[in-house]
Amino acid sequence: MQDFKNNLRKRGRVFLFFLILALLLGGVSWKVCQTAADHEEWVHYRNKSALLLRKEPKDTIDVLILGDSLSYTAFSPMQMWNKHGIAAFVGGQSGQNIQESYYMLKTAFENQKPRLVLLETNVIFRPQRGNSGLTMTLAAMGSYYFPIFTHHDIWKSVLTDKQYPEENYKGFQFREVTDPYRGGAYMKETSQKEKISSTVEDYLEKIRMLCVKNQAELVLISTPSPANYNYKKHNTLEEYARQKGLKYEDLNLKEEELGIDWERDSLDKGDHLNLSGAWKVTDFIGTYLHENFDLPDRREDEAYASWNELGKKYEERAKEKLEAMKKDDKITGEEADNRRERSLPVYE
Amino acid sequence: MSYHNPVYLFLFLPAVLLAYQLTPRKRRWILLLFAGYFFFWTISGKLVLYLIGTTFFTHYIGLWLDLLKTSCKEKGEKEKAVRTQYRKKERLVLALGVCTLLGALACLKYYNFFAQNANLILEYAGQRGIFQVKTLLLPVGISFYTLQAISYMADVYWEKIRPQRHLGKLALFLGFFPQIMEGPISMYGQTGEALWKGEDLRGENLSAGCARILWGLFKKMIIADRLYVLVTAVFEHYQDYNGSIVAFAAIAYTLQLYMEFSGCMDIVIGSGRLFGVTIPENFCRPFASENAAQFWRRWHITLGTWLKTYVFYPLSVSRMVKKWNRFGKKHLGKYFTRLGATALCLFPVWLCNGLWHGASWNYIFYGMYYFVILLAGSALEPARDQMIRAFGINQNALYWKIPRILKTWVIIFVGELFFRANGLKAGMTMFFSIFKDFRLDTLWDGTFLGFGLDKGDYMVIFGGILLVSAAGIIKERNLLNGKGVQDMKTPFRWAVYYGLILAVLIFGAYGIGYQQVDLIYAGF
Amino acid sequence: MEKIIEILKDIDDSIEWEKEQGLIDRRLLDSFGVISLVSELEDSFMVEIEAGEMVPENFNSVEAIYEMIQRLQEK
Repeated sequence: MQDFKNNLRKRGRVFLFFLILALLLGGVSWKVCQTAADHEEWVHYRNKSALLLRKEPKDTIDVLILGDSLSYTAFSPMQMWNKHGIAAFVGGQSGQNIQESYYMLKTAFENQKPRLVLLETNVIFRPQRGNSGLTMTLAAMGSYYFPIFTHHDIWKSVLTDKQYPEENYKGFQFREVTDPYRGGAYMKETSQKEKISSTVEDYLEKIRMLCVKNQAELVLISTPSPANYNYKKHNTLEEYARQKGLKYEDLNLKEEELGIDWERDSLDKGDHLNLSGAWKVTDFIGTYLHENFDLPDRREDEAYASWNELGKKYEERAKEKLEAMKKDDKITGEEADNRRERSLPVYE
Repeated sequence: MSYHNPVYLFLFLPAVLLAYQLTPRKRRWILLLFAGYFFFWTISGKLVLYLIGTTFFTHYIGLWLDLLKTSCKEKGEKEKAVRTQYRKKERLVLALGVCTLLGALACLKYYNFFAQNANLILEYAGQRGIFQVKTLLLPVGISFYTLQAISYMADVYWEKIRPQRHLGKLALFLGFFPQIMEGPISMYGQTGEALWKGEDLRGENLSAGCARILWGLFKKMIIADRLYVLVTAVFEHYQDYNGSIVAFAAIAYTLQLYMEFSGCMDIVIGSGRLFGVTIPENFCRPFASENAAQFWRRWHITLGTWLKTYVFYPLSVSRMVKKWNRFGKKHLGKYFTRLGATALCLFPVWLCNGLWHGASWNYIFYGMYYFVILLAGSALEPARDQMIRAFGINQNALYWKIPRILKTWVIIFVGELFFRANGLKAGMTMFFSIFKDFRLDTLWDGTFLGFGLDKGDYMVIFGGILLVSAAGIIKERNLLNGKGVQDMKTPFRWAVYYGLILAVLIFGAYGIGYQQVDLIYAGF
Repeated sequence: MEKIIEILKDIDDSIEWEKEQGLIDRRLLDSFGVISLVSELEDSFMVEIEAGEMVPENFNSVEAIYEMIQRLQEK
C-alpha cells in the first residue's frame, strides 16, 4: 500500500512537471507569436510568407502558391490581380522542403479557402535520404505546432532591434539583378526518369489528400530554370500527374510561348528568374489560370479594396524597375551582390 | 544521426527506452546491441562490418588468451619454465591482436598521410609519386572502439578481468550507442558488467540523465555552435586577419571545442544514465588546471588514462627503460636518470596522442608540443619545489594559483591554435602573426560583427560562458558541499530545468540563419 | 616494509608515507614518481613488476605496495 501511494505520488509529480512545462512552452509560444505578428520587420525573411498569410483576412485567397525560391521568384500575385482579378498568394520560402509546403498548406486552410493550390515542383526533388528527411519532417512538424521553434530568434530583435525589412507583394518581391544564362538548350528529350525519395512521395500524397479534403484543386507547375530542371524530372512529374489525375504544366518546355530571353530574364545564371522573367511567367500563368479554372474576378468586390491599392502601387513600381532594367542592362559589382543577397536569403 | 540531432533526442532515444522497458530483463542487452548497430548503420552504413569484424576478432583473442592461461595452470603453475613459456605465447597472441587492430586502423586512417609524404620524398629523389591518394571511407568511431578493443585484450592478458565468453555481450561493450561516435573510451571493467544487467528504468536515473543531456545541449547549441561561425571565418581565412583577431580566435576555438566536446559528453553520459549505465567522465573542469599535466588529467580524461595505462606504464616497466635506469644510476645521478626515463616514456605517449587525432603534421606537432611542455614541467619540478620552500609559498593561496591557471590557459590556447589550424604551416603563420601584428583596436572597431555573428550572438555567448564557468567554479571550490541540482528542493530544481529548456529553445543556434554543426570529435 | 619506506623517502622526504592511504588517488605519487619507484622496487626485491600491476590499488599505500611485492615474490 505504501509502495502504491509512493508510486502514485511520483507519477503525479511527473505529470505536474510536464503540465507546467507545457503551460510554459504554450505561454512563451503565444508571446513570441504575438510579438512576431505585431512586428513584421522583426521576422526573418523566410518566415514572412507564413506570417503574412496568417494575417490575410478570412477567406480572401483563391489561389495559393507553394514551393521553394523558384516559386516566389516566378509568380507575382499582384500582376495576376491587375490583369484578371485573381486573388493569389505565394506561400513560398527559400529552400522550402515538401514537409514545409505541407504545413504551409495547413496554415493556409486554417483561415482561407483557396480553390486552387499551385505547387512549384522543385520541392519534390530536394534530396531527402533517410535521416535527413526525418530531421526535416521533425523540424517542419515542430515549427508548425510549436511556433517558438520558428520564431525563437526574435529575442535578437527585441534586445538589439535586428530588422528584416522587405517590400512584399503577397509573397513576391522585386528582383532587379540580371546575370544571364548562356548554357543553351537544357531540356533534351529522354525516356529516363528522376527518382523521388519516399519521404517526399509520402508528403506529396498528404498534400494531395489535404487539397481533396478542402475541395481545392492541386496543380503542379515547373517554372523555367535550367539549373534545376531537365527532361528526366519532366518525365517523372508527368507520370505522377497522369497517375493521380492532376494537371501539370512544365514551363521549361514553353520557353518560346513565354518569350524567355536568358540574356535578360535570369537572376543568377539560370537558377532563378529576375523581375523581367517573373513578369513573363506570371503573364502566361495568369492567362492560363483565367482560361482553365473558374476563378472569380474580385476587382469589383469591396472587401478587396486594399488589393486594388496595392495593385496600383505594384504596377507603378514594377514598370519603373522594368524600364530601368531594360536601360542599364546590368547592375554590377558590389551593388549587384548586395541586391542578390537581399533577394535570396542565406537559406538556399 | 548524431547526439544533438532531434531525430536522436526525440525519436531514437525514447523509442529505445520504451523498447528496453518492454523487453524482459534477460534480453535487454540484445536490444541495446541492436540499437547500437542500428545507430552505427545510420551513420556509416555497411561499414558496420568493420565493427562486427573487430568484435569477432577481439572475442577470439580473449578466448585464446584464456585458453593459454588455463592450460598453463593445468600443466603446473609452480614450474617457472612452463610459466615463462606460456607467458611468451600469451605475449605473442596479444601482440597479434593489438597489431591487427592497429594495422586496420592505420590502413584506413593513415594511408593517405603516408602516401602523400612518401610521394613528397620520392619527388625529392626525382621520382614521380607512386602512391595514389585514395578517399577511404572511415567507419564512425573507429578510433574509439579500436582503443576499447585493445584495452580489453590487454586487460585479459594482465588478468585484470576475466574474458567475456559471450560474443554478443562483448559486442555490446564495443558498440553501446551513446559511446560509438566519440567515446568516452571506457575500459571493460568500467562499463562491461553494467551494460547487460538490464536494470529497470528508474525515475531518478531518467531525471538525472535528462538533466545532463539538457546541460550538454546548452553548451553545444548556445555557445559552441555560435563560436563555430567565428572560428571557421578566421581559421579558414587567417591571412585576412591581424594577430589580435587570430589570438582571439584561438581562445574562441578552445572554448568552442570544450563546450562542444564536453557538451556532447554530457549528452552521452546522460544517455547512459537513462539506462542506469555509468559511463566514465571525460572532462573535469580543465580550465581550473594549474599546469599542463593537470590539464591532461582533466581534459579528454579517458584518452589520457588509456595512453597512460596501455602505453606509458608498459613502457615504464619495459627492458629499455630498466636498462636506462641502471645506466643512469651509475653515470648520471638521480635527477637526469629520472628525466631521461620520463622522456623515454612520455615521447611515445604524446606521439600516439597526436597521431590518434589524425594523420596530419599539425596533430603530430600538437602531441610534441605537449611532450616538450610536460617534460619541461618535470625537469623544473625540483627548482619549483625549492622556490616554494624558500619563499614559504602557500600553494593553495589564490595569489599562487591564479597566475598558474592563467599560464596554463596560454599553453592550452596555443596548443589548440595548432590543433585547429589547416595544416602545420598555417598554424605557424597564425602563431607568429600574433607577435608581428597585434592591434587591439580591431577588437572593438566592428571587425567582430563581420564574422556572421551579431551583437545578440556575442551577448548570448558571453552569458552562456559565464553560466558554465559559474557552475564550474561552484563545483571546483565545492561551494555547495558536494550537493548539486539533484539535491535541491523540488521548486528550485524544476526552475533550473525549465530555465535550461527555455534557454536552449530560445537561444539555441538552430533553425534559420544557423547551420547544424557536426560533432568535431566524431571526425577523429 | 621499512625497505619500501626507505625507497619512498628517497623519492620525496617531505611526506609521511606510512600514514597515507591514497598515494595515487591524492596524487602524492605522480606517474613519474611511480616509474622511479617501480625500478627501485624491482632492483631491491628482485621481482618483476608487469604493466598490468600498475593500478592505483597496488600503490595507494605502503601496505598495498608491500602486499604486491609479496605476491610477486611468491610467483
